[in-house]
Order: sequence, then C-alpha cells, then structure tokens
Amino acid sequence: MQSLRDSMLRHLRTTLSTRQLILTKSVINRQLCTSTHTHSNHDQVIARVIGLVKKFDKIDTTKVTGLADFQKDLSLDSLDRVELVMAFEQEFSIEIPDEEADKLKCCADVAQYIISAPKQDS
Amino acid sequence: MSGAASYLARRAAQREKVRILYRRALKDTLNWAVHRHLFYPDADALRERFDANKNVEDIETIDRMIADGEAQYNKWRHPDPYIVPWAPGGSKFTRNPTPPSGIEIVYDYGREDHI
Repeated sequence: MQSLRDSMLRHLRTTLSTRQLILTKSVINRQLCTSTHTHSNHDQVIARVIGLVKKFDKIDTTKVTGLADFQKDLSLDSLDRVELVMAFEQEFSIEIPDEEADKLKCCADVAQYIISAPKQDS
Repeated sequence: MSGAASYLARRAAQREKVRILYRRALKDTLNWAVHRHLFYPDADALRERFDANKNVEDIETIDRMIADGEAQYNKWRHPDPYIVPWAPGGSKFTRNPTPPSGIEIVYDYGREDHI
C-alpha cells in the first residue's frame, strides 16, 4: 500500500526546482511590498478621505473638495466634526488624540495626518 | 472690558469641554453597542440629547449641565473599552515593532548564489 502511494505521488508531484520556488517567493514578497506602498500613497488616502466625507449625510456632496473647510465651506458644527473624526478613526484604524482632532480643518489636513501618523503594525 | 474677555474665555472653555465630552460619549456608545446597527440609533439619541440644550445661553446653567453630563458619562463608562490594536494598550501594541534603522532582513540567508 505504502509503495503504491509512493509511486503515485512520484508521478503526480509537480516538478518544481528550488530556484523556481525562490523566484515565486520573491515575486510574492515584491507584490506584498508594492501593495503596502500604494496603500500609503497620498492620492489614494485623500481619495478615501473625500469619499468618506461625501458619505456624511449632512454634507452637500458637490461642495466636497480637498481644501474645503469643514466648518466654513461645508457648514458643519463642532459636534459634526467630532462625528467625522470618529469616522476617520474607524476607516483607517487609527487613534486621533483630542488636541489633534481639533486641528483637522479640511480633507487635505486629514490625509496629511493619516500619512504622517506613526503606525506600528505590519 | 475684562469682564467681557473673561466671559468669552469661559464660553470657549465650555465649548471645548462639550466637544470632548461628546467625543468620549460617542466612543463609549460604540463600546456598549455590539453591532453597528445598534450603534446608529444610540448615537442619534446621544446627539439629540446634546442638541436639545444647544441654545442655552446662561453660563451657570451650562456649567451645571456639563458637570451633570460628565457625571453621567463617568457612571456609564464601559469597563473594557475597545482600543485600536496598535495603540497603547491594544492587543498588537509593540508586537512586531519596526526594526531600528540600519538593520535589514536577509530572507534567504545568503544562499541565493549557490543554487
């Protein structure tokens, strides 16, 4: 039984040399690296931030741009901004301290903060 | 003049306090709500409680309300709040930290050339 199994396995086993294995491994590594790089890309972050702000129901979606001020241009009050900051925290899985949350005035600020925030994962 | 300035300063401090109280209360609401669909009505109710006293002008009344709100927040604070995994106290905090600069990882232990 054992010898039968061995012979079958020998025929079925894919012949993959170690060099090929290492090549595929490095390709996978490279792909992983590029995916994390594009993730922290500035344009992508700002697109995600703007998409999130547009989903906020008290905001006129046509007015949302990268530099539109939350308070003046989008007419949000301070409590709305708190809700928005909490949405950012959940979307990007970060912790924004209270004093930093007050400084975030527009989408570009938020994106800048998210990119510069020290991240300890990965 | 100084009376007006101190009044304005006190109002600004109150605004700040209310903002921080709302932020903490909203986070705590998420701690108590097990699912998102339970969180949304709770958050709306919280917002309504804050909005109900939006137009109160008397400074002493506002102070009393803030103290009352903070007491309620402290009473209902969650014993085991959610912490973002890589924030201090989170489950991933200082796990697999980034190696110091100048150290690099060689994945194949230098055997790449001998195959």
